[in-house]
Amino acid sequence: MNQFGSVGLIAALAFAAYGVVAGVVGGKFRSLKITRSAERAALSFLVMITLSVIALEYLIYTNDFHNAYVATHSNRDLSVYYKFAVMWGGQEGSLLFWTWLLSIYVALVVLLNRRKNRQLMPYAIAFAMGVGVFFSALTFFVANPFQGLSLSSASGMAPFFPPDGNGLSPSLQYPSMLIHPVMLYLGLVGMTIPFAFGMSALATRQLGDNWIRVTRRWMMVPWMFLGAGILLGGHWAYNVLGWGGYWAWDPVENASLMPWLAGTAFLHSVMIQEKRGMLKVWNVSLVTLTFFLAVVGDFLTRTGIVQSVHAFAQSNIGPYFALFLGIVAVVSISLILLRLDFLKSENRLDSVTSRESGFLFNNWILLALVFAVLWGTVFPIISKAVESRTVTVGPPFFDKVAVPMGLMLLLLTGVGPLLAWRKTSFESLKRNFAIPLAIAGAIGIVLLLAGVRSLYSWMSLFLGAFVAACVLGEFYKGARTRQRSVGEGFFPALYNLSARNTRRYGGYVVHLGIVLIFVGFAGLAFKVHAKSVMEPGDLMQAGDYLFRCDTMNAGDTPNYTYVDAALAVVKDGKAFAEVKPERRFYKASQQPISHVAIHRTLASDVYVVLAGRDPGTGKAVIEVFINPLVVWVWIGGIVMVLGTLIALVPSRVEREMAQMRQAQAEALEERNAL
Amino acid sequence: MILALPFIVAIGLAALVIYPMLSAGDEASASLPVDVTPAADLKRRRMVVYENLRDLDFEYQAKKIAPKDYESLRETYKAEAARLMVASQELDHGTAEDRFIEREVAARRAALRSKVEKQYVCGKCGFENPVPVKFCGECGSPLSKGNDK
Repeated sequence: MNQFGSVGLIAALAFAAYGVVAGVVGGKFRSLKITRSAERAALSFLVMITLSVIALEYLIYTNDFHNAYVATHSNRDLSVYYKFAVMWGGQEGSLLFWTWLLSIYVALVVLLNRRKNRQLMPYAIAFAMGVGVFFSALTFFVANPFQGLSLSSASGMAPFFPPDGNGLSPSLQYPSMLIHPVMLYLGLVGMTIPFAFGMSALATRQLGDNWIRVTRRWMMVPWMFLGAGILLGGHWAYNVLGWGGYWAWDPVENASLMPWLAGTAFLHSVMIQEKRGMLKVWNVSLVTLTFFLAVVGDFLTRTGIVQSVHAFAQSNIGPYFALFLGIVAVVSISLILLRLDFLKSENRLDSVTSRESGFLFNNWILLALVFAVLWGTVFPIISKAVESRTVTVGPPFFDKVAVPMGLMLLLLTGVGPLLAWRKTSFESLKRNFAIPLAIAGAIGIVLLLAGVRSLYSWMSLFLGAFVAACVLGEFYKGARTRQRSVGEGFFPALYNLSARNTRRYGGYVVHLGIVLIFVGFAGLAFKVHAKSVMEPGDLMQAGDYLFRCDTMNAGDTPNYTYVDAALAVVKDGKAFAEVKPERRFYKASQQPISHVAIHRTLASDVYVVLAGRDPGTGKAVIEVFINPLVVWVWIGGIVMVLGTLIALVPSRVEREMAQMRQAQAEALEERNAL
Repeated sequence: MILALPFIVAIGLAALVIYPMLSAGDEASASLPVDVTPAADLKRRRMVVYENLRDLDFEYQAKKIAPKDYESLRETYKAEAARLMVASQELDHGTAEDRFIEREVAARRAALRSKVEKQYVCGKCGFENPVPVKFCGECGSPLSKGNDK
């Protein structure tokens, strides 16, 4: 089975390499048959990688510990679901998984563009397959998951078959770990496609807004996955790591945040190119940056170059990644410079108070944030190189920089959509902002009276109220106008309004999700933490809550042993909840891990950790966090995904335009046939 | 045995990949169709402006935009739409420059023709020689620059 997988990989590499050559030649000579061949190579790439993936899954599910990867990352008693996660539990498998997702994306692009964008396709395939060459070569030559386990002995290397594997890292044995890495990878890998189209537009000199319109959905989908993946990662950290928080500015977290921020900037700035024919260089640069950061993300995560809680093993793939990133940078920057003449703006910025400049500010802040996060993330590497000692910048640095920027972005989330294109007079501003400002002001005063004294929290909630009022006002005013002019009921008007321009109103829903997430962030200032050593009958106070330890148990399962404690939570003299934190010890990997007990309400989470046993007394070490408003972060994430899904639905106007294009394409084909 | 499977699949796929390259006929020499023709691009840009106009109207009705802003924005959009419309029409009947050149050529041809006619009318018999000649094709008398009337 090892050879089976390796053959799949090397054949996939060959198809990818062929796809690059055929794509470039087909694009250069605008040859239909060569392009067809390149497209088939891209589909074959998918088939061969899929065979490799099947081979690896087969090895995992049959507990074939001859295979080094399976022996290191799986064990017999691992549950069926988590065996699936073994695929991305280690470096070799995750690289194969990355390559597989890439091949799926590319195949989808080929299938969905069989009759469209014929000029863009050959180069787009060439660039995407170029990325495929790198990842399949890396997987085959450097980090091959299909290596046999062998022991060196006097007579050379002898195959070795251990009775059981080392097991999957216990921290990964958690339900959201089944989807978090997949989402993250779908997000990071997916950024390849907009990049490939952007580069293809440069190569073919087709730098109008066609590539932008083609790329929009290919950016939105991975952007959604990446955002969901980041939040799921936070959710996982919150539920598993037991330190009471969901975001720690860990390098690996940052690595996924940076491409997401750059992608967010792109999704906004493309609208200026579509509407006004401006920012062409900026957009093609942003799409490159987003892809670049996605690969940097994989690089930081996989090479262990920066210390991280994710604690992936140090590995030897670093130089290859550095080389690949260098090639990407050189190729994309030279292409952009070569095509500068074709990237001239069709219009100029008319006024500072316009939608365009709103988007522009949003882009600047997002990019400033990207570079601040990048700086903080790679600072340990730089400091090590310059001063020969590693200086880590901790969360205080990031908080100091990122929180104000985040709040400014939040403000723009509300202001931007209310500015008109081209220019907005003071009078229009007054019309639009009077009511939201009044509402936010009232809420701000109420918050002050209620005792909210943390500046950032107050601002999050104040701005959140402002943005929510702006966005909901947009829906309300739009629906009312439609109601008046078309004569529909309010809710049908609301529906038709959104259906007519799904992208705008879906975007508004995403903005509402952002507001909810910021509401969750605002709760951070009111966190309460308490820690105590307890045995049945002991009491502990944390904020308004009283905790009473009732019972403690120990048990054994094939995969792990555990201890748990049952605690009663009392609030205002009344029984509030029962919680049962647990601590597991995984046998295969010989590692302990806490299973946090969380009682969630919309107002706050009661978060209880059984951190271990006190060595002296044998009592349970219980840690409690009261985390206000955390639930809103997850709800906001769900709202964001819903908003993105709405924005992905083709709007009525778009469908009309697509029909027009289709008719034209058919007319052209007929003419060619004559 | 199972090891043969990826080989067989790879070879089969390789054949499929190469196949389009070997095909003869119309397909073989066909080139990729154009994604966006200049006419389609102009039309689409005009549609975008119309869409902007519709949005503007809607936002005005929703009282998001002050009347003064509305008027001036509407004018700019209308002017843009008109410009794109003209550009589309010119593309249909050739560009403005093409038409200028065609007009010039036509004018010069007409001028030349009239000059030719004047120059080669025989002063003696009045015959209109159809081509430039030194002697009249009808009566044989010499044609000089002086005798064109």
